[in-house]
Amino acid sequence: MRNNNETLKHIINSLIPVILAFALGAIIILFTGNNPLYAYWILLKKSLFTSKGFLDTLHYASPLILTGLAIAVTFKANVYNMGVEGQMLLGGFFAGLVGSSISVGNPFIEKFICIIVAIICGMAFAMIPAILKVKCNVNEMVVTLMLNYGVVKVLEFLTTGVFKDKSAGYVATPTINDIAMFSRFGKSRITAFFVIVIIVLIVMYFIMKKTKLGYEITAIGKNPEFAEACGMNVGKKIMVIMLLSGALSGMAGAGWMLSDQFKYTLSFSGNPGLGWDGMLVALLGGHTPIGILVASIFYAALKTGSDSINMYTSVPKEIVALIQGIMILFLAVKFLKEKK
Amino acid sequence: MKSIIQTINLTKKFGDFVANNNISLDIKEGEIRCIVGENGAGKSTLMNMLYGLVAPSSGKILIRGEEVKMTNPLTAIGVGIGMVHQHFKLVSSLTVYENILLGVEIKKKNSPLIDKKEEIKKVAKMIEDNHLQLNPTDKIEDISIGERQRVEILKMLYRNVDILILDEPTAVLTPKEVDDLIATLKLLKEQGKTIIVITHKLREVMELADSITVLKHGNVVGDVLKQDTDEKEIARMMVGRDVCLTVQNDRKHTVEKQVVYQVDNLNVLNDDGKKVINNVSFKVNKGEIFGIAGVEGNGQSELIKVLTGLMEAESGNVILYGKNVTNRWPKELRKEGIGIIPEDRYATGLCREMSVSDNCIAGYHDNKEILKYGLYNSKKIDEIRDKYIDEFDIRLGDKNGVIGNLSGGNAQKVIIARELASKPKILMACQPTRGVDIGSIEFIHNEIIKFRDQGNTVILVSSELSEIMSLSDRVIVMYKGQITGEISPTEVSTVEIGLLMAGIKGENKHEK
Repeated sequence: MRNNNETLKHIINSLIPVILAFALGAIIILFTGNNPLYAYWILLKKSLFTSKGFLDTLHYASPLILTGLAIAVTFKANVYNMGVEGQMLLGGFFAGLVGSSISVGNPFIEKFICIIVAIICGMAFAMIPAILKVKCNVNEMVVTLMLNYGVVKVLEFLTTGVFKDKSAGYVATPTINDIAMFSRFGKSRITAFFVIVIIVLIVMYFIMKKTKLGYEITAIGKNPEFAEACGMNVGKKIMVIMLLSGALSGMAGAGWMLSDQFKYTLSFSGNPGLGWDGMLVALLGGHTPIGILVASIFYAALKTGSDSINMYTSVPKEIVALIQGIMILFLAVKFLKEKK
Repeated sequence: MKSIIQTINLTKKFGDFVANNNISLDIKEGEIRCIVGENGAGKSTLMNMLYGLVAPSSGKILIRGEEVKMTNPLTAIGVGIGMVHQHFKLVSSLTVYENILLGVEIKKKNSPLIDKKEEIKKVAKMIEDNHLQLNPTDKIEDISIGERQRVEILKMLYRNVDILILDEPTAVLTPKEVDDLIATLKLLKEQGKTIIVITHKLREVMELADSITVLKHGNVVGDVLKQDTDEKEIARMMVGRDVCLTVQNDRKHTVEKQVVYQVDNLNVLNDDGKKVINNVSFKVNKGEIFGIAGVEGNGQSELIKVLTGLMEAESGNVILYGKNVTNRWPKELRKEGIGIIPEDRYATGLCREMSVSDNCIAGYHDNKEILKYGLYNSKKIDEIRDKYIDEFDIRLGDKNGVIGNLSGGNAQKVIIARELASKPKILMACQPTRGVDIGSIEFIHNEIIKFRDQGNTVILVSSELSEIMSLSDRVIVMYKGQITGEISPTEVSTVEIGLLMAGIKGENKHEK
C-alpha cells in the first residue's frame, strides 16, 4: 500500500539499468559494424511481436516466474535463500526420475505426482539451512549458497552412474514417459505449465497482500523486533518462509523437466541457471509478484530473441549475455533514493 | 586555573526541536567536570558537538582560548579531546595492545612489518604508569566490561589527549568496577588531564566532580562547585521542574482492595549476565494507576520488558487474576487482557515502514473481525483505522501513507488507540509521553485516567517524575534494579521522591 510516487520511483530504478545496459550493448554492436537499432528491433520483434515468438517467450518465462517468486518471498522477509538453483535442480531431477519410472496411466495424476515429488524435494532441501538458521543461528546465505555446489555434484554423480540412461549416447537420465510430458500448444513451445505458473503467481499475490503470512513476512522483513513484539514467532515463520521458497523452487524444476527438458542432463538448467536468473528477475521486479511477471517475460524475451539476432544479423548471440551482465552490474546501483 | 574548553551560546536544533539552547560552559584545565541531567536533557548532544560528531546550529567552541571548528572526531583528537563512548568501539577478536595501537601501529625500522614486541612493551608501560589492571595480550572478547573501558581510556591516552570525555561511563559497570574507575580518573587528573563525565548518578558525581553542570531540556540550569552543593540540591535541580503539567485527576474513585496483578521475587539478568532486576515484588489493585518511578537505567525498562513478554525472567512469578503468566509471549499476554504501550515506540510498538492500517492491526492481526478464511478484509481494516483517527484525533497528512510520516505524538496515539480497542483489563504504559508534544501529552494522560476510571488497572513506567506524580495512585521507586520505596504521590514532595530515585533512602522522610 505504498503511494504512487514511490512505485514510480521503483519502476524508474528498475528501468534505468535496463536502458543503460542496452545503451552500452549498442556501442559494442557498433564496433562489430552493425546497426544496433536494427539488431534490437530484430531481438524484440522476434521474441515479443510475433505470436510464436511471444508464446515461446512465455514458455521460457514460466520457470523464471517461479524461481523469482521463490527468491522474492524470502528477500521480503530479509531472509536470503540463495539456494533456489539447488532446490530447483533437485526438484527437477526427481521429477524426471519419477516421470520415467512410474506409470499410473492418467496424465493428470502422473504430472501431479511428479510435481509433488519435486516440491517435497525442494522443501526438504530448503529445510536444512532453515533449521540451521533458526536452531543454531547459522547464516542462511552461506549455507544455501554452498549447498548449490554440493547438489550439482551429487546430481552429476547420480546422472553419470546409477541413473544413467544406458541407451542414450550422452550423459542423461532416462526420458520421462509421454503421459508425464506437458504437450505443446500448436507450433510454439508453450504448454499448460505456463497456466499453472500463472495460477501460482495469482495465489502468491494474494498470499503477499491479503493473508496473515504475507503481513508477517512484511513485518519480519521490515522490523523483526516489532514482529516479535506483535506476537509473531519469528523463528517459526522463517522456517515457513524457507519451506515455501523451497516448494516454489522445486516446482520450477519439475515444470522445466516436464515441459521442456524431459530428462536430466548436466546442462539441465542452462547457464547461468534458472535459479540465478530468478534472482535477477526478482531484483528487477522489485520483489513484487507483478514486477516479477513483467521482468520474467522481458528476461525470457532476451533469451528467445538471441537466436534471431544470430540468424538475421551478423551480431553474435553472446551480445545478449553481455547485456544481461551489464544489467546486473547497474541493478546494484539505486539511481533514485527510495524511502526505505 | 586556565580555561581549557569554553562554549559560547552553543545551540543545536534538530528540526523544530532544540536539543541544546545557548549553552555556555567554561571548563578549567585539570578539573573533573560532571555534566548531569535527566535523559533527553541534551547531555550527549553537547558532548557530541565537542567531539565533532554533531555540528552546532550556532555558537562557538573555544579550546585553550582559540576558536576551533569541530568537523569530525579527528579534529577533536588533534586538539587533544578524546571520548569514551557508552558503547565501546573495540575489535573483539583483537588483543588489548592491538586495539590501543589500531591505526597508529609501530613499525620495525625500514620495514612495513609491525613491531609486536615494541608495541606490547609500550602498552605494558602505559598500563603500569596508570596503575591499571590489564594484560596487553588478552583478547578483547575474553575480558570484562570494566577492562574494556580501560582499554578505551588507554586508547585515548595513547593519542596524547589531555581532555577526556566519558559518556555514562558507569552505566554498564559493577560497583567494584565503578570504584576502580573513579580511582583511575582521579589519578589522571593528578597527571594534569581534564576530565568531563556525563552521568545521572548523583553519588558518583559527589565522589568524582570538582564542579557540576546541570542540564535540563537543553538549558544549563545549574553550574556549581562541589563544595558549595550537596546531592539533595542537585537532585532538586535535575528533577524539580519550572513548568508543571496539571492533570485533572480527582482521585475520587475507589480503589478496590482486590489484587489483580502480582509480581513475586522477580530476578532478571541481562545479556551480559548482569543482574538488572533484583528480587522485585509488588501487588497492584483493581482500579488504580500504579506508577514505577526511577532514573532511567535502573531496571524499569527491563521490568516492563519482562512483564510484556519481550525478555525472560530468571526466577520469580507474575500472576494475573490468579493465573501464572510468567515469561509468556506478548501475543498470549494480549489475549489475557493486557494492553501494551511499549517503551520504544518505533522498535517494538510500530513499524515505521508499514502503512498506518497495517500498524493499526499489529498484535491483533489474527482477530476474526479482520481475518476471514485466511484473507484480510482490507475494507474492514481501513474502517478500523478511520475509527482510531476519528476517536483519538490522530492528525496525519496521508491516511494511506506509512506510519513513519506521523509525528511522535500522533504515532503514540495510534498505539494507544490500538491497545485500548481490545478492551484490556490492564494497561502497561511505558514512557507513554516520551517525545510527544504538549497537546498530545494531555490527551494521553486523560485517556489513561479515563481508562482507570472505568475500573481498569494501569501500570505506568515513566522517567518523567511529574507524570508519575500527577497520574498515579501509588508509586514505587526503583534504584539499581531494586525497589527503594513505596509512596503516595499526594503526600510526598517531588524532592523526596527525587532522593529515592537517586538511591538515597530519605533520612527525613515523613513517616505516615
